[in-house]
Amino acid sequence: MARGLQTDAAVVRPETPRWTLALGAWLLGCAPGAPRNGDGAVHDASARFPVVVHRPPSLSSIEVDSDAGRVAIPCENCHSLFRENPPALPARVEELRGPHAGMRFAHGAVPCASCHERTDATRLHLATGEVLPMTEAMSLCRQCHGPQARDYDHGSHGGMRGYWDRSRGPRARNHCVDCHDPHAPHFPRFQPMPPPRDTAWLRSAPHG
Amino acid sequence: MNTESTTADAPTHHRSTYPRFLLRVLWESVDGSFGFYAWMGVLTAIALVGAHAWAGQNAWGMATTGLSDHVSWGLYIANFTFVVGLAAGGVMMVIPAYLYGDEDMHDVVIVGELLAIAAIVMAVGFIMVDLGRPDRFWHMLPGPGRLNFPNSVLTWDMVVLNGYLLLNLHVCGYLLYQRFLGRKPRHRWYVPMVMVSIVWAFSVHTVTAFLYAGLGGRPFWNSALLAPRFLASAFVTGPAFIVLSLRVSQRLLGLPVPDRAVDVLLKILRVTTLVNLFMLGSELFTEFYTGGSHTASTRYLYVGLHGHRELVPWSWTSVGLNVAAAVVLLTPALSARRWLLHLALAMTFAGVWIEKGMGLIVPGFIPSTLHELVPYAPSRNEWKVTWGVWALGLMVFTLSLRIAAAAAQGRFSLAQGTTPEKGGA
Amino acid sequence: MAENSVPRRVALKVLGATLGAGVFAQALAPLKQFTEGMSLQGFLQKHYKELSPRELREVLRRLEEETEQRYGAEVTIRDLRPTPGVQFAYALNLSVCIGCRRCVEACHHENNHDRASHNSYIRVLEMEQGSLDLERGDANYDHAVPAPGKFYLPVQCQQCENPPCVRVCPVEATWQESDGIVVVDYNWCIGCRYCEAACPYHARRFNWRAPEVPAREINPDQAYLSNRIRPQGVMEKCTFCLHRTREGRMPACLEACPTGARVFGNVLDPSSEIRWVLEHKRVFVLKEELGTRPRFFYFFDE
Repeated sequence: MARGLQTDAAVVRPETPRWTLALGAWLLGCAPGAPRNGDGAVHDASARFPVVVHRPPSLSSIEVDSDAGRVAIPCENCHSLFRENPPALPARVEELRGPHAGMRFAHGAVPCASCHERTDATRLHLATGEVLPMTEAMSLCRQCHGPQARDYDHGSHGGMRGYWDRSRGPRARNHCVDCHDPHAPHFPRFQPMPPPRDTAWLRSAPHG
Repeated sequence: MNTESTTADAPTHHRSTYPRFLLRVLWESVDGSFGFYAWMGVLTAIALVGAHAWAGQNAWGMATTGLSDHVSWGLYIANFTFVVGLAAGGVMMVIPAYLYGDEDMHDVVIVGELLAIAAIVMAVGFIMVDLGRPDRFWHMLPGPGRLNFPNSVLTWDMVVLNGYLLLNLHVCGYLLYQRFLGRKPRHRWYVPMVMVSIVWAFSVHTVTAFLYAGLGGRPFWNSALLAPRFLASAFVTGPAFIVLSLRVSQRLLGLPVPDRAVDVLLKILRVTTLVNLFMLGSELFTEFYTGGSHTASTRYLYVGLHGHRELVPWSWTSVGLNVAAAVVLLTPALSARRWLLHLALAMTFAGVWIEKGMGLIVPGFIPSTLHELVPYAPSRNEWKVTWGVWALGLMVFTLSLRIAAAAAQGRFSLAQGTTPEKGGA
Repeated sequence: MAENSVPRRVALKVLGATLGAGVFAQALAPLKQFTEGMSLQGFLQKHYKELSPRELREVLRRLEEETEQRYGAEVTIRDLRPTPGVQFAYALNLSVCIGCRRCVEACHHENNHDRASHNSYIRVLEMEQGSLDLERGDANYDHAVPAPGKFYLPVQCQQCENPPCVRVCPVEATWQESDGIVVVDYNWCIGCRYCEAACPYHARRFNWRAPEVPAREINPDQAYLSNRIRPQGVMEKCTFCLHRTREGRMPACLEACPTGARVFGNVLDPSSEIRWVLEHKRVFVLKEELGTRPRFFYFFDE
C-alpha cells in the first residue's frame, strides 16, 4: 500500500482494480491485512493519508475444478485471444454459450447490454453511453444504487480497515464486488461464527 | 437499670478490671456443658468446611459458584440482604424498651442488640465471600484506598453497617461491663447511642434496599416500594427470630424472659406480617396488571417464563409460609398453642428468607438486561461457604447470648472472677 | 464433680484449641495457591491515577514480566492516554448488519479473551423485524444468516456519557476518560460486580477464572487499560480497543465487519464519517429512557 502525503480526495477513486467475481474473497480471509503504520508520526493536521479501495485479486465469472480445488479463471485468459474480433453479447443470460453457459443471474430485469459493451463484454458503459474499463465498475454501480454509493462515500456501507484518523495513517476500503457478485448481488446466506458459550463453559467448570 | 446511678462510685481501675472482663468473656465462651460443646463443635465444623470452600473459591476463581455474567449475584448477596434485615429487625425490641419505656422489654432488650451484632458479622462475611479479590479489601478503606463516597451506594452500606456494628458493640459491651463491675449503667454513656441506633437501624436496611432500587437497568428492583418492603420484612424476621431465641435461651441458658416482652414482640409481628403481605400484593398487582417486558422477572418468579420455572415452586412456598404464619398469628385460638406459634414464627422466617433472598436477588438478573434467560442454581461450594458464614454468625450469637444470660442471672461479675461456676449452663 | 476436673478441662481446652488451629490452617490451605501468583508490589500497587510516571513504568514492566512467566508470551504493555479534542462515538447500520458474528470473533482474539469460555465484549441479538423489544431477541442463533424476517443487533459497551457502572463502583476502579471511553483498572477492582448489576447493556464481564490463552495466540500489542490479560476475579469491558483507537486506528470489530455496518470516529471532527451519520441518519440509542446517554448509536437505512 503506497504511503504518501496526498491531498485528501473527497470522493473515493478506485485505483486500477482488476476484477473478480470470486464472491466474498475478502470474507474468506484472502484480503491483504490492514495497513499498519506504527512508525508513522505525522503531525501536520492538513496532511492526509490516502483511502485506497481494495483491489480484488483476480477476476472471473468462471470457476473450474483443479487439483487445488475451485480456481477462478481470469477473463484475460480467454478474452485476450479474440481481442480483434470479440464475440457479440447475447440478449439474455440464457443465451450464453461456451464457458459462461449456465451462469446464475439475479440482478433485476437488467439485460446484459445495460452494463456490458455490446461488442466487447470485457468493457462496460454508463447509461450515457460513455465506455468504462472494468476497473471503473464502481462508477457503473453508483448510477443505479445512489443511496448505497452515498453511504459508501460517507463510510457507512462497505467494510474498511486502517485508520479512523487519516492524519496518522491510511485506510483501505472494500470494492463493491468484494461482497456483491455483479450478476447476483444479493448477499448470500451463510453460517455465522459460533454462538456464545460462556454459560455452558461456566456450568462445566471444575469444583462446581 | 434505667435509673441514673447516683451512688458515688469508688474510682475504678479500668486498666486492671477491663482485661479481667475480657478474660471472663473468653472464659464464658469456652466453658460449658456437653450440649454447649456439641453445639459449638458442630458450628465450628460447619464454619471450617465453609472456610475451606471459600479458600478453594479464591484459588480456583468464582467459577466454583453457580454464578455467571448473566446472574452475577446469587446466594451470597441474597443472604447478605436477609441478614441485614435481621440486624435491623433487632430494633423492634429497642423501640418499645427505650422509646416507650417498657420495663419488661428492658430486661431482655440486649438480645435484640446482640442479634444485630451477630447479623452484621454475617453481613460483612457475605460481602467478603462475594468479592472476587478479597485481598484488595483495603481499597475500600478511607485513607489508603479510594472510597467512592457518596456516589456509590455500596460505600454508604459499608458506612452504615460498620456504624451499626460499632453502636451495638458499644451499647452491649458497656452494659455487660457495668454488670461485670456490679454497677448501674449511666444513661449518658449508652442511651444516646441507643437512640442513634434506632434511627441507624432504619438507615441500614434502607441503604441496602437502595443498593438495588437505584439501578435503572433492573426494572424488578427499580421500585420505590423496595425500601419499605425491606423494612416490613425485616420487622417480621427480626422479632420472629428473637422470640424463638428468647424461648431457647430461657430453656437452655436460664435467661429470665418476661412473657410480656414476648407479647409485645408478637403484637408487632401481627402488624408487620400483614404489612409485608400487603406490600407484596401491591407489587404483584402493579406488575401483572400492567404486563409488558418490564414485568418479565416477576413472571419468571411466579408463573415461569419461556418454559423456565426454576423459582416458581420456591416463590409459592414463600407466599404459603407467610400467609399460613399470618393466619396463625392473627387467630388467637391458634397462636395460644405454643408449639404452633413457634412453628408459625419459623415458617415466616423461612418464608421471608426465600422471598428476600433468592426471590429478590436472582430475578433481578433473570432475564438479563439483554433479556437472555440464563437460570441460576447455587453450586455445592457456594452452599458450603454460605453455611459457613451462618455458622460463624450463630457462634457469635450463641456466645453473646450465654454471656447475657449469665449476666442476667448475676453469674457474671468481677466478684466471681474467672472461676467456672459450678453446675455450668 | 471430681477435684481434678478443672485442670483436666483446661488441658482439654488447650488440646482443642491446638487441634482447631491446625484444622483451620488446613482448611485455608488452598489460599496458598491464590497468593502464590501474587507479588508484594502487586498487592500494594496504587490506583492508576495515583501512579507517578516512574511507578507506572515499573508497573508496566512488572506486568510484562508476569505475562512472560505465566503465559510464555513476550508482550508490550503501553499506557495510552486520551488525545485532547477527541471524543469517540460509534454507529451501527442495522440494515446492513447480517449477524455473522465476525465482530464477536475479532473482539475475542484482539482482546486476549479466555479461550475456554470464548468470551467477547460483543453479543449479537437476532431480532424479529417489526420489533425492538429485546425480550424477543435471541443471542444463541446458530443457522445461516441473514435469516428471513430477522435483523441483527450487536450490543457491546455503549460508553455512556452518564455511566451507571462508574457511579456504583465502591472503589473508583472504573471511570470515564476525556475521550469518552469507560475504563477499568484491573489491578484496583475488588470484584464486587456491582457495576455488572448496574449496567443496562450486559456490557461488563467478570473473570470467573484466570483467562487461558495459548502463547502463540496472544495479541502482544497491549495497553494497561485495555487488552492486557486480565487477572482472575476482576471486571473487564469493551474499551473501543483503545490500544488501537488512541493511535488513530479502527477498533478490531469494525475492521472485521464484512458489510461496513460499523462507523467509528471522532465526533468533534465535523468532517468525520461518524458526524455525517449522526447528522444525516435517523439514529437511536438503546434504552434511551434510562438516561445513560450512550455514545453508541444505531440506525436503519431509509
